[in-house]
Amino acid sequence: MSGHLPPKSSVKRWLQTTNHKDIGVLYLVTALFFLVFGGVLALLMRLQLWTPGPTLFGGLAYNQAVTAHGLLMVFWFISPFGFGFANYFVPLQIGAKDLSFPRLNALSYWLYLFSGLLFGVSFFQGSTFAGGWTMYAPLNVPTFFPNEALGATTAVLALLLFVTSITVSSVNFLTSMYRERAEDLRMRDIPLFSLSINLTVWMMLFAFAALLAALVILTSDHLLGTTYFNFQVTDSGSILSGTGNEGASMLWSHLFWFFGHPEVYIVFFPALGIMAEVFQTFTGRRIVGRKWFILAMVLVALQSFVVWMHHMFLTGINLETKTVFMATTIGISLPFDLMVFALIYTMIKGKVRFKTPFLFALGALILFIIGGITGVFLGAVVLDYQFRGTYWVVAHFHYVMVGGATAMFGGLYYWYPKITGKMYNETLGKLHFAGYFVGFNLLYFPMFIAWETPRRVFDYSAGMTIWHQMATVGGFLLAASFLVMFYNLFKSYFHGEEAGDQPWKYVSSAEWAVSSPPPLDNFPGLPSYASGKLSFKDPKDVEGAHAGHGGATAADGGAAAEASATAEAETSTGTPSKIRAVTARATGGVPATAHEHESDHADHASYWPLMIAFGGFLTLLGFAGYQGGELLGLPSHLIALLQGGSVPKLPYLLLTVVGATTTMGSLVGMTRESFAAPEDAISERWPFENVEKMKLGMWTFLASDIVLFGAFIGSYLFTRVANGWQDWHHMIPEAHVSLPGLINTYLLLTSSFAVVLAMVAARRESKRGVVAALFVTFTLGIGFLVNKGLEWAHLFNLHEGAFAGGWEFSTNIASSTFYLTTGLHAAHVIIGLIVCAWLFARTMGGAYMGDEKPIEYFGLYWHLVDIVWLFLFPLFYIL
Amino acid sequence: MSHTKLYAWIYVVLFVFATIQVAVEYAGLLEGGTYWIAFGAIMVLSAIKAVLVAGYYQHLRWEPASVTYLVLGALLVVVALVGAASFSIL
Repeated sequence: MSGHLPPKSSVKRWLQTTNHKDIGVLYLVTALFFLVFGGVLALLMRLQLWTPGPTLFGGLAYNQAVTAHGLLMVFWFISPFGFGFANYFVPLQIGAKDLSFPRLNALSYWLYLFSGLLFGVSFFQGSTFAGGWTMYAPLNVPTFFPNEALGATTAVLALLLFVTSITVSSVNFLTSMYRERAEDLRMRDIPLFSLSINLTVWMMLFAFAALLAALVILTSDHLLGTTYFNFQVTDSGSILSGTGNEGASMLWSHLFWFFGHPEVYIVFFPALGIMAEVFQTFTGRRIVGRKWFILAMVLVALQSFVVWMHHMFLTGINLETKTVFMATTIGISLPFDLMVFALIYTMIKGKVRFKTPFLFALGALILFIIGGITGVFLGAVVLDYQFRGTYWVVAHFHYVMVGGATAMFGGLYYWYPKITGKMYNETLGKLHFAGYFVGFNLLYFPMFIAWETPRRVFDYSAGMTIWHQMATVGGFLLAASFLVMFYNLFKSYFHGEEAGDQPWKYVSSAEWAVSSPPPLDNFPGLPSYASGKLSFKDPKDVEGAHAGHGGATAADGGAAAEASATAEAETSTGTPSKIRAVTARATGGVPATAHEHESDHADHASYWPLMIAFGGFLTLLGFAGYQGGELLGLPSHLIALLQGGSVPKLPYLLLTVVGATTTMGSLVGMTRESFAAPEDAISERWPFENVEKMKLGMWTFLASDIVLFGAFIGSYLFTRVANGWQDWHHMIPEAHVSLPGLINTYLLLTSSFAVVLAMVAARRESKRGVVAALFVTFTLGIGFLVNKGLEWAHLFNLHEGAFAGGWEFSTNIASSTFYLTTGLHAAHVIIGLIVCAWLFARTMGGAYMGDEKPIEYFGLYWHLVDIVWLFLFPLFYIL
Repeated sequence: MSHTKLYAWIYVVLFVFATIQVAVEYAGLLEGGTYWIAFGAIMVLSAIKAVLVAGYYQHLRWEPASVTYLVLGALLVVVALVGAASFSIL
């Protein structure tokens, strides 16, 4: 199923492409679709808010619209929109042919698309999630949703699928940016947009792992009946707080906001990178204080993980913590101040050209300044007590988040000529900006004035009606401005002027050194900065040099194309200012603006990513049909189905079976598919020079997995602290002893040792040794699962004292944390065993002799599973 | 010492440490006033085991330091989350 791509006019191309530029376009188009989806919901809300009280919506419908609008805009529009640009331009800017794992890149996109579709489906299942985009506990558990929470569960599962996409994407981008940079292109020298994406992806890798933990736990509360986020509810429906599940709502808030605050910068950093690029181009000036600008971004990325509790000032966290987090919150505004002044000073030092991209970037800066200042109010504990839950918050974060989106629309105009080869209509672009900027401020600024309006409620004081009506008019003006944009971009695509390779003067990054649109493999040769400027080396010469000099860096002989060096740019003060323009000009045999040509080696097409994601979509759609522990009955339902018996919830079961089969089959198909994604012979790889890309990818994934498990273990520790560490024991039956855990520890430790022996045997080319060691690993892993199964069955069927009904998932918070945390670990063991079986089968066929790398990569994963157990064992069995 | 022998010795240490952890429980040290001392000892043993597995079985010891920093970064994130969250409700 792999191979060469059909032309862009063919639908087939878009279903099977793995090329980063195609994927970028798919992201951009899909994100714009979700912008419209979320935008229409916003317009409906604004219509409802024309006057106070219920007019258009009932309470549940309004809550759904508010929630879905927030989730769609934050998750399915803004971030993916930024990553549309990242997909398209990061490889170009760093001098790579593609991302390190092109099929995983396609998989990320398809998971993203299907997660959005799954969310859309939830609207048709009675009611989608209606508890606000922050999904606070306990309003996120099935008890509080109609229709058996079917739609709400689907929405949670959609988010789960989305986060999977993000994780895959994060691993891919980090690996690519540390393995595929052009020769001598240092990290600090990559264009600011790519640098902002690099920092964004680091934040994504860790922050989304915490969200993944929160969502897996929430999914378990929905499907398996665990009680992490449940309060006890009386027969009359009232909530008894503090009964048997201390800290439930606080746990969600911690997990969510530990993700949620970095998410603000995850959303904003790509916009910041675009602003920096656009400011440089349209002022003809390198950004002032570039080094400090970068340092400020790095600081924000680090600080973003120590400010999350300013979202929790109104919860029961102690005063010391509030004080510290107020300080860290004020602290994170400081690097932003530096960046804002750098951008302003760049304008002063340069000569501004007010083209549409610049107008949007400048508009974004103004909006962000307002959003930032009003946010500092919320960072102060005493002010937050007053502002929390009001329209002040709504106005503030729209100024920040939509302010960021404003820069991205600037990016769309900026790179549109490069992506399409056509120039948009400048007049219509400026008209779009005028409508957008006026509409935006008319929409959001009155919210500051009407700040006492309660958030997420359609009723408000009649005295504030005029401000809400202004906001509604502004909202429709903002929406209308997008009609101009869509018309402009659509019309220009078919009838616009040819843009040429460099439609803008003073561009300074490598995407402008190639044709518009760029060729499939991006560059006419191997990009290199060895000479201090961008040049392209002939791959044959480089390979020859490597062969001749034992892998030493090739000399610059035989380079066919060269990018020109330094252009003089007049600044507003008339002082020449040096700016690197990469006006590629051919000087030899290989044209710099090469026509689309395909590498002899690289593949660009595979249907498997689409199929894997589609299978995931079906599986989760099926899962949504099960509530409160019903999912545990799935195996027995499956047996009944195979025996032709009566099966409850048959459609959901069938969806699950078909989906899981499709995903598993497609994974096998992808593994068996021949697909080449070779690395360039020369690349700058600091600080991972001696870590091959598969290993780096694996370690990056494991880092994310550490945070996932850490958040799970942390959830257990947090709830145990909340309940009183040693008081916890009364929720655990006497029959829960340490022996099964100790046996499993022995089994896992021995299996880890066996994997090490397998690797040693492969290095020694001993097929018998590898076969034996992998067989032992597999058998011990199975033994681990059998032992766990027996233990669980015993605990489920207890008849002792306080646990006469058994110790099940839903018995109490101790049982929930035990089963789910060790269950997540068991799921990792199962995945490991599947891979182990695959390695075993391939070894039987003669693979890995003298090439122990695949076994080593499996071992890295298996040992981490082992390490996690080394902590689960004492925490859940001994202490 | 060959790597295989080293791996074998580490396996023995891991095995023994796991046994000691349970022995601490069976010795009754988790009862009464010695709970937190025993708690500390057990967790330190787990941490040593984890370092041995990561350092030798995952051969971080022989990888560039940047890979170790990547892992430590993830651990730092976890410590920040769990530490601050737990402290916030004390």
